[in-house]
Amino acid sequence: MKQKSGKYLVFPTIIWLSFFFIIPLLIVIAVSFASRTPYGQVIFNFQLGNYARFLEPLYLRIFIDTIFVAVVTTVLTFVMGYPLAYTIAKLPKKWQQPGLILVMAPFWINFLIRSYAWVIILRTQGVLNTILLKLGLIQQPLALLYNDAAVLLGMVYALLPFMVLPIYVAIEQLDTRLLEAASDLGAKPFTAFRKITLPLTMPGVAAGSILVFISSLGMFVVPDVMGGAKSALVGNLIQNQFLSARDWPFGSALSIILAILSLVLIILYYKVLQAKEGGASDAQKLA
Amino acid sequence: MKKIVSLALSLLLGSTLLLAGCGGSSGGKANTQPQTLNLFSWADNFDPEVLAEFEKKYNCKINYDVFANNEELLAKIQAGGARYDIIQPSDYMVGTMIKLDLLEKLNKKNIPNLTNLNTSLQAPAYDPTGDYSSIYTWGVTGIAYNKKYVKVAPTSWEDLWNEEYKGRVILLNDNREIIGMALKKDGFSNNATDPRQLAKAVDDLKELAPLVMAYDTDTIKQKFIAEEAWIGTMWSGDASFAYKDNKNIGFVVPKEGTTIWADTFAIPRGTKNKELAEKFINFMYEPKVSAKNYEYIGYNDPNEKAKQYHSEAFNNDPMLKIGAAHIDKGEWLIDIGEAITAYDKAWTELKTIK
Amino acid sequence: MRRNWRSASLFAYSGAILAFLYLPLVILALYSFNASRINAVWSGFTLDWYNSLFHNRRVIEALINSLVIASISTLVSTVLGTTAAIALNRYQYKYKAVINGLLYLPILIPEIVMGLSLLVLFSQASLPLGKTTLILAHITFCVSFVVITVGARLEGMRHDLEEAASDLYATPWQTFRYITFPLALPGIIAGALIAFTLSIDDFIISFFVAGPNSTTLPLYIYAMVKRGISPEINALSTLMMCATISLVIIAQILQPQHTSKKND
Repeated sequence: MKQKSGKYLVFPTIIWLSFFFIIPLLIVIAVSFASRTPYGQVIFNFQLGNYARFLEPLYLRIFIDTIFVAVVTTVLTFVMGYPLAYTIAKLPKKWQQPGLILVMAPFWINFLIRSYAWVIILRTQGVLNTILLKLGLIQQPLALLYNDAAVLLGMVYALLPFMVLPIYVAIEQLDTRLLEAASDLGAKPFTAFRKITLPLTMPGVAAGSILVFISSLGMFVVPDVMGGAKSALVGNLIQNQFLSARDWPFGSALSIILAILSLVLIILYYKVLQAKEGGASDAQKLA
Repeated sequence: MKKIVSLALSLLLGSTLLLAGCGGSSGGKANTQPQTLNLFSWADNFDPEVLAEFEKKYNCKINYDVFANNEELLAKIQAGGARYDIIQPSDYMVGTMIKLDLLEKLNKKNIPNLTNLNTSLQAPAYDPTGDYSSIYTWGVTGIAYNKKYVKVAPTSWEDLWNEEYKGRVILLNDNREIIGMALKKDGFSNNATDPRQLAKAVDDLKELAPLVMAYDTDTIKQKFIAEEAWIGTMWSGDASFAYKDNKNIGFVVPKEGTTIWADTFAIPRGTKNKELAEKFINFMYEPKVSAKNYEYIGYNDPNEKAKQYHSEAFNNDPMLKIGAAHIDKGEWLIDIGEAITAYDKAWTELKTIK
Repeated sequence: MRRNWRSASLFAYSGAILAFLYLPLVILALYSFNASRINAVWSGFTLDWYNSLFHNRRVIEALINSLVIASISTLVSTVLGTTAAIALNRYQYKYKAVINGLLYLPILIPEIVMGLSLLVLFSQASLPLGKTTLILAHITFCVSFVVITVGARLEGMRHDLEEAASDLYATPWQTFRYITFPLALPGIIAGALIAFTLSIDDFIISFFVAGPNSTTLPLYIYAMVKRGISPEINALSTLMMCATISLVIIAQILQPQHTSKKND
């Protein structure tokens, strides 16, 4: 019986979020059905126009582009983040925390000036082009900035820690005896990784992917600085509604749509994972 | 377990209350402490020594907080809650704030130094009576170009549309500025709301889009100095900065005319220190004070009486001179009301062109 | 033999990624010695920016504000997030889906919308904008990240030890203190690191809920952009970087040997 009282531990957070999140969220929902005056004041007269506008091909295309960029970013951060997390998790205990802090420390430096540093590296007269020219590897400076690849680089750079930390957390508690058993039974390392390590660390991968995916959907500084503001992503679109078009209702509607869309994608993602999880639970049973 | 919950909760509440208390206590000593002036402006917009002088002279403390763009300022002032005594909106934003009734009328009796200002700048289009704002600095939008790569000095906005500069053209990341620029090129007002005029300008910009390297407002100077960009739109104040670091940079105002902009002083509604705020504005227009201040910030000084105190270099700065020469030729951006939706949509379309 | 080769290449790959993370910081540090006010091209060596940094009252104030706000927000959001994640992992709730939704939603809402709506809330509640509102807002957007990170740890955790403990008549507190907490600790630390990272570099939400005299470092830096970010900020970042790394090293040296064994 006593055990049950632990249930209430969830309440402080729920109360906190109800007050500081749900109330504001209700305001946003209300505004998304409102209209506005030419000077941007919100008038509450219920209408669906803001949601209807989303269906215009221009905005639909921006959503599709954004999701594409977010998916690619998530995959790239996974490819880079998993081995890094693995290496840290396999360090001697004493070195794990310093390792984590070393990975996180760059992110305590302001993001904007780190992005400008990338510009210095990648621009036509930049560090990288200069080195490549000096080495004779290229004849003409490469256009490395202000394109989609640069946007992706910026995104990956900004979001990598959100992938590394949850995966580290999952790998760190991995029971290495399982891997030893697998290798004793003659499993190839890659097979062992695919059949045991990856499924068992899936909760970390899932959490990391969600954090990266969601965060990349809302990005707007990266497309501006690294992409030369030439591509419109949802984050920029929403930002513009509040900070240039003065259309809070349309901006709110776009945000609600974005939130619902990401929620649906997350649920789908978990469904797919669950369908594949057979391997993981088998492995766990073995333990 | 319940104990833990209540302990955690009370700790939480306690820490928040403690913080709230800390926040409050600084204001609590108001009796003995000098007045405070809450200033909300662009970063680095004053010579710190000038601010310190004011603090000393009027026995007050200045809280200098910063914003990065006009719309952020508007959103914040509109939502209320922030208690600022002086803000620095740009031209069109003054117009918007007047219409939204967010500004106090200035008591000109408390600001006698207003008469020191250039007469052309005392009653600009966005605030025709000059009742709500006074000018802080101004400039014009023109074409900046690098003489190494652009051999013939541009004379028209048309000169941006040149295949030779493909991938080296840079445009301000601001829909009003750039659509306004295209409108000017086509001989219209930069405040046009006629859909046909707008459509023509936007079609022209669509042709320009493939030549564009980047849209950028904030780091356009760096892009010119590092010679990434060869030609593009730029504000005269920024051109003056860029020129100091790279002497190949030229700046012209095209023959079709251009946009003139200004940053101002204004007092938001509900301030408790209106008089002190007015004293501050007046102080900033003292000839010697403003000479010192504008030497530091490097923008155009609207103060006619300050000229004699300025250095030779400042008075002869070629870029600042261009700004000064075009006060009467430039057209102010004014608030275009509903049409901003069309501008924003056209702008979004431009950004989706690959 | 092959095993060594494999782990060596894994190590090299991770090293390369770490280099990728630090590369911009090297450039940034280099430009803190650049004579030009505008961070565009190299124009000569100087130490002036370090000197003027120490005399720049506003930067120092902004840094202190940021550190204070980030520390408090991290502490509170980690406590809130961890308790919620543990409770959700251990107990069944009737409306679990709703609770999960509530915990996930804050990361789904774009920052600017959250910032503006919190601003409206605070001004309706006539809470004066300042450090308090900043902390309240930061806690709100950090909590979900902590819940998700700690949750990822708990999900993969085996419950047999906890069950054994309670079979042996350990009180729930004892079970938590001696079993659950140590097992969850890496997740909690990771969650706290994420919260700190989010808070120390948040701009959008902070902008809307900040008031007079509560400018944080990101707010200060973003506002500088119009004039060009001063190399003083590069100098400050370089010092922050050096301080972090030296702290890590000092902590490593001072760490008593036995704790590492205990953790093993």
